[in-house]
Amino acid sequence: MEEKYLICEDSLEGIFTGIYKAYSLKEDHSRLHIQIGEEENLRLFAEYIPIVPDAGTAVRVSRTIQRELGEETYISICRALASMDKQKGEAVYKTVVCGLQMQNGRQVMGNLTNPYVHKVFELNRGTNNEVLHLMGFLRFQELENGILFSKIGPKNNILTFLAPHFADRLSLLNFVIYDDIRGIFVVHPASKDWYLVTNAEIDSEMMENYSREELEYQELFTYFCHKIAIKERKNLNLQRSMLPLRFQEYMVEFRK
Amino acid sequence: MNYKVSEEMSVMEKLGILTDAAKYDVACTSSGVDRKGSGSGMGNTVAGGICHSFSADGRCISLLKILFTNECIYDCKYCINRKSNDVVRTSFTPDEVCELTMGFYKRNYIEGLFLSSGILYNPDFTMELIYQTLYKLRREHRFQGYIHVKAIPGADPFLIQKTGLLADRMSVNLELPTAEGLSRLAPNKHRKNILAPMRQIQNGIKSSKNEIVLYKNAPRFVPAGQSTQLIVGATPENDYQLMTVAENLYEKFELKRVFYSAFVNVNEDKELPALPGGPPLLREHRLYQADWLLRFYGFKAGELLSEARPNFNILLDPKADWALRHLEMFPVEVNRADYQLLLRIPGIGVKSAQRIVMARRSSFLSFPDLKKIGVVLKRALYFITCNGKMMYNTKIEEDYITRNLLTVKEKLPFDKDGITYKQLSLFDDVGFTMQPNIIDTHKAVLGQM
Ligand code: SF4
Repeated sequence: MEEKYLICEDSLEGIFTGIYKAYSLKEDHSRLHIQIGEEENLRLFAEYIPIVPDAGTAVRVSRTIQRELGEETYISICRALASMDKQKGEAVYKTVVCGLQMQNGRQVMGNLTNPYVHKVFELNRGTNNEVLHLMGFLRFQELENGILFSKIGPKNNILTFLAPHFADRLSLLNFVIYDDIRGIFVVHPASKDWYLVTNAEIDSEMMENYSREELEYQELFTYFCHKIAIKERKNLNLQRSMLPLRFQEYMVEFRK
Repeated sequence: MNYKVSEEMSVMEKLGILTDAAKYDVACTSSGVDRKGSGSGMGNTVAGGICHSFSADGRCISLLKILFTNECIYDCKYCINRKSNDVVRTSFTPDEVCELTMGFYKRNYIEGLFLSSGILYNPDFTMELIYQTLYKLRREHRFQGYIHVKAIPGADPFLIQKTGLLADRMSVNLELPTAEGLSRLAPNKHRKNILAPMRQIQNGIKSSKNEIVLYKNAPRFVPAGQSTQLIVGATPENDYQLMTVAENLYEKFELKRVFYSAFVNVNEDKELPALPGGPPLLREHRLYQADWLLRFYGFKAGELLSEARPNFNILLDPKADWALRHLEMFPVEVNRADYQLLLRIPGIGVKSAQRIVMARRSSFLSFPDLKKIGVVLKRALYFITCNGKMMYNTKIEEDYITRNLLTVKEKLPFDKDGITYKQLSLFDDVGFTMQPNIIDTHKAVLGQM
């Protein structure tokens, strides 16, 4: 029997729909695969099935995962799917299969000897680490209209994991976080719920209209960072390994 | 209020001076508390702590770490702010500190404030200023982020109590592990005056916890616990003394953290060691590793060091060093050993030990599995078996394993930028002669208070 590749869109909706389809084929899971995006390396003797994402189907799959594998596993899976890794769809699919076959599916993430579970575990950790990094490394700049604006360039698609932290922390303020790589925004109006904006143009002029105090604060902080360092302990390599250059690029205190 | 504030100085200049003066104090925001925002102010706290930046020395920046003032009536020999130093003096006003904190916080530069201070006029006067600053920050600015504040030794306990109800963490720095060290280098400080507020804070934390059980909305006193700092290498105490002091502080004073700060000689005082190799960073690193073993690995100071062997091995981390001296316990079968024993294996940390316990429920673990889990096999392989077999045919013999472990380069946080191993080991060569008495350390810290 030939292998079948389900070609899914790179989104929760796309991949969950793919998993649903895989189950409905009622074939041996080892011959079914989920692939994200284009059918890159076409294999001979393989069948390719394009999957159209469907919100209703995806919701059913997500409910099943939450019910059978538990909330914690579900969050790990969502974080894994936010990863930029292209094998994530397959890893999540096979992890779900593994979990549903276990007596207690809630323990599936402990099954690290399974390569797919291990992959999901790693991807989850990668995404989570980037979220934790950006909780600290993200910088807001205050615009003339009082809005706090931040531009970040994350490797993984993490805005939705980052937003709740800042919405809680700065609940009374208006802020916007812009994912420079994917062109998506989180918008948080003061005292209201945050939401995601895609396909929007950014008014770059407005984003450089700082408030009266903004540049002064940037200077104060840059000076602070300079003064807090102990010169007898200087270690730029350590600094760089703790705070990789790809983050520094977006941080006011490292601007030349 | 009437204390001298140099009016001419800009906030920028003050920030420079009062940051410079605060930089030797160690603090971090981890092992704190999770506190959600209330929706009526600004800020929350995250138990794991958040690093917001890293300075050129590779240390984490998470707090606006400043002194309220660098004026000081005392003359501690190791301190840049001591009264006999001729340095520019300045003080913030409570409002300036509030504005800086809020301005930094909302831009996500910091996790909160770490406010320390020199002693202006007297301890009470200084503590009162610190209290007022916190009061404004919490009540007027509705700041709900992290605050770590110093309790000034000798200040009225009532002021310390009031301040503690506004702070997340409080600390009193012990600075020097023995009473002799303290009286030699900090003639105005007395161990009793340092331990008294420590005890007060400990009791305050305890009774606050009880009150919260009774009344959910009782105000919380220092919810993120108490910490202290020990300076490493300014006085001749050995590592065993330092670790014993730390252990006592954890057990008897229930401190959350003890920080170690490699001595930086800023004053070139004749009472102080010259440290031509720079601050004793390797020693500081070993102490942090050992401290970790005390807090999370179930080790006792007496297992790691002894009077006969009072200092950590320069070449090996304290856990590997311990394992080599206890080879009779190895090899350990990873598929059966209990969690506490797994923790004692070099190359296995808290996380990998937890994962092993979890993963072996569903299958027998092999060496490649262990690697996936995050075990550092290059280090662990001499100490473990999987299904009764060792990874390679290795001897369980101290010299042999030591030699092999030394070929695996240990990741040190500071062995890059030109600081060499040779220079680091110089702390051994400082040539202290005095050998303080170990009993005194116990007595001093336990202090019949
Ligand atoms: S009390 Fe001692 S350590 Fe503290 S600021 Fe004054 S001189 Fe420095």
